[in-house]
Amino acid sequence: MMDAGKADVLMGIKGLHKQFPGTLALDDVSFDILRNTVHCIVGENGCGKSTMIKILTGALERTKGELLFEGRAFEPKTIREAMAQGVTALYQELNVVDDLSVAENLTLGREKQRFGFIQKDADLSVLVENLRSLDDSIRLTDRVGDLSVAQRRVIEITRAISTDCKMLVMDEPTAALSEDETRRMFKVIGKLKAKGITIVYISHKLGEVFEIGDKVTVLRDGKVVETREVAEIRNSSSCNSDSDACLELVRMMLGKVVLEEYIPGSNIQALKLLEARNLKTGKLRDVSFELYKGEILGFYGLVGAGKTEVAQVLYGIDPYSGEIFVKGQSLKISSTAKALKAGITMIPEERRIGGIFGQLSIRANIPMMRMEKVLTNGIINRGKENALADGYIKGMSLATSGREKKVAQLSGGNQQKVVISKCLNRESDVLLMDEPTRGVDVGAKQEIHDIIRKLAREGKGIIVFSSELPEIMQLCDRIVLMYEGEVRTVLQNGKDIDSDRIMALVAGGEVSA
Amino acid sequence: MANSFSAIQIDRQKLVLLSILAAIVVAMSFLSPKFLQLSNFQNILLQLAPLIIIASAANLLMITGNFDLSIGSVLAFSAIMHAYMSKLGLPIGLSIALCCMMAVLWGISNGIMVGYLNVNPVIATMGTMYAARGFAYLIARWDGGANISAGLPSDFSDFGRTNLFGVLPIIIVFMLVTVAIFIFIEKKTVLGRFSFAIGGNRKASVLSGIKVPQMTIVLYSLVGLLAGFCGTVQVSRVGSGFPNIAEGMEFDVVVAIVLGGTSMLGGSGSTAGMIIGALIVGTAANGLNLLKVPYFYQTITKGLLLIVAVFADQTIRRRG
Repeated sequence: MMDAGKADVLMGIKGLHKQFPGTLALDDVSFDILRNTVHCIVGENGCGKSTMIKILTGALERTKGELLFEGRAFEPKTIREAMAQGVTALYQELNVVDDLSVAENLTLGREKQRFGFIQKDADLSVLVENLRSLDDSIRLTDRVGDLSVAQRRVIEITRAISTDCKMLVMDEPTAALSEDETRRMFKVIGKLKAKGITIVYISHKLGEVFEIGDKVTVLRDGKVVETREVAEIRNSSSCNSDSDACLELVRMMLGKVVLEEYIPGSNIQALKLLEARNLKTGKLRDVSFELYKGEILGFYGLVGAGKTEVAQVLYGIDPYSGEIFVKGQSLKISSTAKALKAGITMIPEERRIGGIFGQLSIRANIPMMRMEKVLTNGIINRGKENALADGYIKGMSLATSGREKKVAQLSGGNQQKVVISKCLNRESDVLLMDEPTRGVDVGAKQEIHDIIRKLAREGKGIIVFSSELPEIMQLCDRIVLMYEGEVRTVLQNGKDIDSDRIMALVAGGEVSA
Repeated sequence: MANSFSAIQIDRQKLVLLSILAAIVVAMSFLSPKFLQLSNFQNILLQLAPLIIIASAANLLMITGNFDLSIGSVLAFSAIMHAYMSKLGLPIGLSIALCCMMAVLWGISNGIMVGYLNVNPVIATMGTMYAARGFAYLIARWDGGANISAGLPSDFSDFGRTNLFGVLPIIIVFMLVTVAIFIFIEKKTVLGRFSFAIGGNRKASVLSGIKVPQMTIVLYSLVGLLAGFCGTVQVSRVGSGFPNIAEGMEFDVVVAIVLGGTSMLGGSGSTAGMIIGALIVGTAANGLNLLKVPYFYQTITKGLLLIVAVFADQTIRRRG
């Protein structure tokens, strides 16, 4: 055991900043990674985890700050340089060649070459020994494509630790693994630790932190919330079980929930606009819910809980089994065209990828989903188009120098308003809004919330999918809580709603009466 | 109408292109006394007309981010088919109509492969390029030779050699009409608008409910139609059908379009720009011809022009 005062720091991170155009991805991040520990990093989407890993492994350059690896300045320019100094990353995507044998995969990229020809006798012995020690069920002659995902992962790990690796960064290594395989992976991690390798472990499955972690750093909005001993969190007075401990982590990840007052929907009518029964996909398990006219329904859950998947199903992007009723009529929504025809429109999660036509003007963007409104005898009528655009620019208080401005040149909030205008012009009864205010500033966020409330008052049915709890609690009349592809419960919003209870539920806690 | 002149709005990029064109014209008029003659300009236009006609549609296709390598082959297929059917005694008009329809089928097949089956456009249209060219040779063989020149009806050449009002060659009339139609499509129709949308952001187009595969098929069909039509005009003008006609024409089309400022990635471009691009290529080639520069130097020049144009396009995009 180390002395607390003289802890053996392998990697020291001091005042790390990373500035991207428009956003500060990492803001003064400092913490130490101790030798021979499993150090977990957790946080919601966009908290800066990925940026962090990329900088640690040489894939990205920092803007400011200091990294000390074994006491020396650590400034890798490339992934290879980082590896040469003993830091290797295993990314989510498996980096093995399915069609080659285990032996060939192990020696890949390190074959002894002469004049470009591979010399057969590359030194396998170290690799084989490492492989045996991690998982002795894998044979060198096996074709890698026939192995399980966990076993393929082991081959990657073997390759990594055979290059004098001191620190292994694992980005969600269990994301695609079954329960059994996850157990196996944990055993491998235990063995790696026994070999003296330090592991930086990133996962969205918070339970794993308590199974294998020694320390955990929580990131939020590019800042370190806290770095704590895992045992200390587990043993603290308020935690009676691992799920209590998880809840504590969730609280740290999400921060204090500052609540604006929820204004109850004033125009919710008995007409059921949309009903889903037992929706199933690879990710979703028996998701059922209903949406009424004039209602704002919220879907909330942590990353990977299945919110976006629900939106994808309702908009005809993902195949599903189960039933969907639109205004009482059973419909198979097998394509986006069918969803639109049924009166469902989606405002997609990533506006730049799925929402805007950046090279086109605001005027050209807005009618895109219902061109009929700007046509005269089948020809685009510029007058109608201008009028339509001006109407939305005014109605949405879109800040722009004019309707001919290219959408790419607008700010995030105004781009989002263009996307919303484009979708509203479709005049659907049901609006799906996936992260409607992601990446927009506070002012624009409030404006977009007001627009959503106004639409509900006008009788639309709106589903908001959001990973921001304040947004959900402020906006939605009812809240569907999701956990691992399941609907945990549906809560009625109101004065007595309890954000702590919501957090407990989305972290996997039990539904109490 | 407030915006009736929008079709000829000139932006900076087009201004640069026009200056290049002007520079070539000025330089050539000093270098060669024959250059500034009216007959020479008519020559240039006659050379360029089929290219500009087909590129009008191919430009819109490239704005969606796709392109078509089978243009020259479909043109040849249609040309030789027209000669073959006319020789068999089919009325000229009927034969032209049938050839255009067959060319549309080539386009539809390209469109289905690219739009529905998600075959890479280079591969799909390269397949068509070989297949259509092969058919062109095959049809000539059915006729019993390497080409179809003897035995064509006496009125076979009338169509392609018609001069409107006695002065305007029919192909130039077709060119003007096609260009006008495509400027209209580009600016005033849903097809034009959606082409920009698809090329600019394919995923957003799909999520906006735009029927991307159908649009792709329509555009490939238009390219096929115009290539087929030009084939019938060309074979009629020449008066005999050669299966190797218009070999490599697809690349000339690409050069004109890319020079004109349409990005290979899609999302931006204009018919007007394409025309200037075509004029630059045509005028430069004509000038080099007049100066008796050997053909291979001309090819080298064309290659350099293309590379410089694409490089400039990328640089502008990266900065923009």
